Amino acid sequence: MKDRRWIALCAIGLIVLAILNLPDTASLRVKGAVRDGLSPLQGALRGGVREVREIIRYVRGIGDLALENRALFEEIVYLRGEVRVARDLERDNQMLRELLGFSRRFPTRLISCEVIGRDSTGWWQTVRLDKGAESGVAEDRAVITPDGLLGRTVAVSDETADVLLLSDPTCKVSVRVARSGVLGIMTGLGGAPGEQPACRMDYMGLTADIQEGDEIVTSGLGGVFPKGLVAGRVTRVEVAADGLYRTAFLQINADLGRAEYGFVVATDADLQAAAKGLTEELTGTKTDLLGESAP
Amino acid sequence: MTLLSLLFWLLVGGTFQVLMPAWRYMGQPAFPFVLAVVLYAAMSKKSRYFVIMALLGGILEDSLSLAPLGFSGCALLAAGGVATLLRADFFTFRATAVSVLGAFCTAVATGVMAILLHVKGLIVLTPAETGWRMLGSALLGAIVVPVMFRLMQALERRLGMREEMV
Repeated sequence: MKDRRWIALCAIGLIVLAILNLPDTASLRVKGAVRDGLSPLQGALRGGVREVREIIRYVRGIGDLALENRALFEEIVYLRGEVRVARDLERDNQMLRELLGFSRRFPTRLISCEVIGRDSTGWWQTVRLDKGAESGVAEDRAVITPDGLLGRTVAVSDETADVLLLSDPTCKVSVRVARSGVLGIMTGLGGAPGEQPACRMDYMGLTADIQEGDEIVTSGLGGVFPKGLVAGRVTRVEVAADGLYRTAFLQINADLGRAEYGFVVATDADLQAAAKGLTEELTGTKTDLLGESAP
Repeated sequence: MTLLSLLFWLLVGGTFQVLMPAWRYMGQPAFPFVLAVVLYAAMSKKSRYFVIMALLGGILEDSLSLAPLGFSGCALLAAGGVATLLRADFFTFRATAVSVLGAFCTAVATGVMAILLHVKGLIVLTPAETGWRMLGSALLGAIVVPVMFRLMQALERRLGMREEMV
């Protein structure tokens, strides 16, 4: 009896060791398969919860609909004007950059995604999106919401992508102060999403021009986040404990705790890679089908 | 049938764990639905079921988070192992006993996971923060585990399955 127990314990130990030492590719494939397998269920449940929430919101705000409609209409008219101006400016900007011989900024596309889940263990601050490599989402891409930067993609399977939120202590972003151009590194403080302040901006000189209320945008350095994405606003500025530089505490613009949608900033190359993969898959399927049906 | 029922609960637990955001307070621990299934298997089924559930639950949890494959499995095996040891001595299925067991085992699982992730350099946590988080997860375990035990027992009764107290 005792021998059997020891054998069982050894077998369990061996299985655990084997799982822990799986090669990266195999490990990623297993994780991706489980994630993709569960994503429809997660999506459906999340959709159901959202529907109920929408109905409650609709019933609550039914009296204000006319007013809200009018306000939205006014906003559309205003934004259309802004877009027109922005297009002219973009055209001028590109023309001047070409005249000066600057390289074009790399073209980007936005992939709209729905949030279908969060980190299951609570050790990281992540959200899961319902689109993955098949839709053109790649690792280390910025994810934004209409309010501002949300985070970056860290683990991408065929049909899902995990986004490391800005408030996670392992998420570091090179940013600058929009008003003065002072550069710094933004790090998450690990507080619960929605708690303030959620981030810290470090490594600014003692004479750096930064003050409360300043808008913080991505600097474009580092290659992950494109330049100029709004990240947050300064709530407090302090001299760091070692007295060598200043530290600013930031309030993130995007509502990390309640984000339901996100837009992945993809490059043309990402989309082309996804399209190529899809074509290959379709061609493969076609060949299989032909093979099966052939006499 | 036992395995099917446990797998069903594992799937439900994993899905709920992903859908429910981590608790905002006490170090932001996650709700231990998967661990509750493993503990149930450890307390009321043959040992092999507990081991299978711990390994599968670990793969599920790791797949749905950024943890390397196998880490959660170790944590669940450790917590389930503690439960198995306690089962032989004094355990009953009274709610208070299950609650205490849930709290203790959840704290053990959190502690093991914290050590593994810290050694691998994947998280930034001080010992005080880890302790605080273990306390938070124990509190959640004390609430979630008895509820899950009740639900699982109710389903088994409905299905006409007799609990195998081996």
